[in-house]
Amino acid sequence: MSVLERAHRINHRYRAFNHVAEALEAEGGGRLTGVAVSVKDNVCVKGMPSTAGSKVLEGYMPPFDATVVAKCRLEGAAILGKTTQDEFGFGTFNVNTPYSVPLNPRDPERSSGGSSGGAAVVTAVADFPHLAIAESTGGSISCPASFCGVVGITPTYGRTSRWGLIDYANSLDKIGCMGKTVRDAALLLSVISGPDVYDSTVLHAPIEDYVAQAGKPAEGLRVGVPREYFGEGVDQGVSDVVWGGVKRLEDQGADVREVSLPFTRYSLSSYYIIAMAEASTNLAKYCGLRYGLHLPLEGSFDEYFSAVRSAGFGDEAKRRIILGTYARMAGYRDAYYLKALRVRTRVIEDFRRVYRDVDVLAAPTMPVVAPRFDEIAELEPIQHYMMDILTVAPNLAGVPMVSVPCGESDGMPVGLHVMADYLGEGDMIRAAAAVEAS
Amino acid sequence: MVRRVAEAARLSLTDEELERYEQQLKVILEAFRMLDEVDTEGVEPSFHPIELEDVLREDKASKWVWDPLANSMHKEDGYFRGPRIQ
Amino acid sequence: MEATIGLEVHVRLRTESKLFCGCSTETVGAEPNMNTCPICLGYPGSKPMVNRKAVEHGVRVAKALNCGLAPMVRFSRKSYFYPDMPKNYQITQYEVPLAEGGYLSVNGRRIRIRRVHLEEDPARLVHVGGDITSSRYNLIDYNRSGVPLAEIVTEPDIGDTKEARLFLEKLGVMLEHLGVYDPHAEGTLRVDANVSVDGGSRVEVKNVTGFRNVEKALNFEVVRQRSIARMGIDVTRETRHFDAETGSTSSLRSKEQEEDYGYIIEPDLVKINLRPEWVQEIVATMPELPDQRIQRLVEQYGINRFQAEVVVNAGLDMSLFYEECCRLYGNAEKVANWLVTYLLKSLNYMGLSLRESGVEPGTFVELLTLIDEGVISERTAKELIKDYAVSGESPRRIVEEKGLALMGVKELRAVVGEVVSENPDAVEDYLGGTGKASEYLVGQVLRRVRARADPNVVRKIIIEMLGSNGENASVAQ
Repeated sequence: MSVLERAHRINHRYRAFNHVAEALEAEGGGRLTGVAVSVKDNVCVKGMPSTAGSKVLEGYMPPFDATVVAKCRLEGAAILGKTTQDEFGFGTFNVNTPYSVPLNPRDPERSSGGSSGGAAVVTAVADFPHLAIAESTGGSISCPASFCGVVGITPTYGRTSRWGLIDYANSLDKIGCMGKTVRDAALLLSVISGPDVYDSTVLHAPIEDYVAQAGKPAEGLRVGVPREYFGEGVDQGVSDVVWGGVKRLEDQGADVREVSLPFTRYSLSSYYIIAMAEASTNLAKYCGLRYGLHLPLEGSFDEYFSAVRSAGFGDEAKRRIILGTYARMAGYRDAYYLKALRVRTRVIEDFRRVYRDVDVLAAPTMPVVAPRFDEIAELEPIQHYMMDILTVAPNLAGVPMVSVPCGESDGMPVGLHVMADYLGEGDMIRAAAAVEAS
Repeated sequence: MVRRVAEAARLSLTDEELERYEQQLKVILEAFRMLDEVDTEGVEPSFHPIELEDVLREDKASKWVWDPLANSMHKEDGYFRGPRIQ
Repeated sequence: MEATIGLEVHVRLRTESKLFCGCSTETVGAEPNMNTCPICLGYPGSKPMVNRKAVEHGVRVAKALNCGLAPMVRFSRKSYFYPDMPKNYQITQYEVPLAEGGYLSVNGRRIRIRRVHLEEDPARLVHVGGDITSSRYNLIDYNRSGVPLAEIVTEPDIGDTKEARLFLEKLGVMLEHLGVYDPHAEGTLRVDANVSVDGGSRVEVKNVTGFRNVEKALNFEVVRQRSIARMGIDVTRETRHFDAETGSTSSLRSKEQEEDYGYIIEPDLVKINLRPEWVQEIVATMPELPDQRIQRLVEQYGINRFQAEVVVNAGLDMSLFYEECCRLYGNAEKVANWLVTYLLKSLNYMGLSLRESGVEPGTFVELLTLIDEGVISERTAKELIKDYAVSGESPRRIVEEKGLALMGVKELRAVVGEVVSENPDAVEDYLGGTGKASEYLVGQVLRRVRARADPNVVRKIIIEMLGSNGENASVAQ
């Protein structure tokens, strides 16, 4: 069976794609020769519909490749297709989309996690050389990686170019990668990292040999375990499995100690306010004029815009637009938008301080294992948001992180989250690989 | 509140949506209020995680070769068609 | 004071490329949507990149207006929905503008400048089947979208409509001298005017193009607001649109429901430090400003201040024209006199700018030379200048074609001789000492030669020919 046929089979069974390539085209040779790369649907691929999981971009064909996609092509990769996601990244279970809701490969009654759900599913079940380009704003790479038992790397903010990424929140979005192993994910990371003139927020730091880091022993690595990440709200079973992983690191010669990130509990509110404020401006451009969903041109522009947007956005998108608009309105701006930005400084300070004494942090990626769809249906929006408590802080601070499979609880995969300092991808990959190997 | 903000954001909501969102958003905003506990006296807001600065582009004209109208359904004589003002 | 007026002036800055992308800013001969890219069209996934030159131009404008420069600038998103907005937010500067607290002197009064900042222009709307309020739909051209603008906001210091126009003219000359603004290109300067009368509500008139239209719009508004107030009705606080054809303003939307722009810092851009070394470099390469030029013209060419001001305030073209003429001709005062008193008058009368007229330093100097050579009289020159201002044709050729050259002395003598022989009675009167007779004879000669002789020269010849009659003794000297 060809790779494309396998991809269709995966899609048929797990509903992981919004679009499968019509043909696999690869040019030249490089580090990704023979590899099929799937791309999260909010990362533009020229010639393939890029919907970001939303009806408002139904059928939208980007006129350019995202920089990270172009880099993959240059290294000989073939683009496999666009993986499904929560609309614009708004979600933790990949259920907020009019397109496919992917199924967890371990248990089809359970969520794959989100928002990069499709990417994690394909990564878990692909039986051909495959790597996934994914994206995280508040934990959208780590969560599905943890729920599906694969490796998900979220690099330092600015490590990868956001040119071609359909924005959720510009100061929080990062393009990252998934693979079956730490080494695999590290390979893709080294390909997609690097500066780009088209993105003013990229970092110009040199790119380490991340794959080589995956082979280094954990001995001497200073590992901090933040106490705030093991408190109530985290499932006992998950906690135990992750502790097991930490112990195994210690057995390998890592220096493990407890640390504290006191502002952790405030990071959820701070994250959501900033993310929604930025998102509400990013989504203003979708109004049925230049691309995406169109309606017959009738009425005043207020009427036409409202008609298109109301038809094109899902519930969660509407809620976030409203909340985000509110948070930056005159009279509320100081209490919400600006306050959240100041709290963000506090969260960043937490990390900077702790990294003076440790190289990496280790904690559970998610407070639970993948929940069942019927459980999710009972949740209120605020409860969806609460699921992100362990991933939002590092995402808010823009530090790099990797979720690596660490064991199982209740028959479902559990991810261990390794977080490093800015541009500390090398250390974190080293630690993650050590957990993987143990 | 929801109606006013939704209008500003050009979202026309049904009565059902208005009611449901009003409820849900109230709960969420209440939760956000926990930020009031944080002492941020004299703390600068962080617009980016890492302070980046001075990224500028040289003033040179270049041409993007493409069809800007290709993705639009509403066009006429090389222009985009847009809805009327009032 | 007649009214309280504040202006928000949007100036299109002269750069090769747009503010946030590399698209050309050239609008002349551009097909609609020809100079666009995913960035200025607000395509999903696109991100802005700041144009260095636009920032430098902004700094020049701020310095020329005596403003305090911010140590670093950030961009903001100003959110509002409109068909001409590619992203339904405009990237501008709200929290941290480029500069604040400056002034521009107009007629001895200082009009304070509240702030100067950079922002991107929206697209151009073509209203189909009506105007802004009545069109059936719109056509949108994004060539203009993303062009860099400097927004200059004044305090409400302007007291009447004439002062508003003077302010704008002076600002325009200043910006032109800075090299950041092209007054000859269409639509490069747009004004939003805020006007209230006798402490009444403030009305905003949006998007007026051109100085004359601003004066017209303000005049209309002042009259309108006055008449409403006289009837005892409160003026509604609102936004109005100016129709250049009818010269009137009409209501657009109520300012009561002012748009909440929901400003956030632009998260796709980073802060730009205006380092002292960089600012110094920019200031060092700043072209001569109008006030400096006026001073220099006075000192360098020895002309009077009034003339220097007229020349400089007529625009950069005129200043350069003047100096080139001086270089070619040498007598700076004479150039100034003829330029200010006669040429400019003709151009203004015909409604022509220097550029439109075809007048050039070479031919203007030619005119002055013709006077010096005695080929034409000054009187002739003053007449000739009117044709010359319109055609720009070589004055020498005009003189030839129209036969305006002063007659040679021999020829003139012949005519005088004819007149003398034809008017024996007058000659007798003249010799008899009657003053009026000589004027009669001069008049007769002039009748025949018209502009081709100087009356004084004719008089001299007559005296020479007929001899002094005593009365004219002094003249004969």
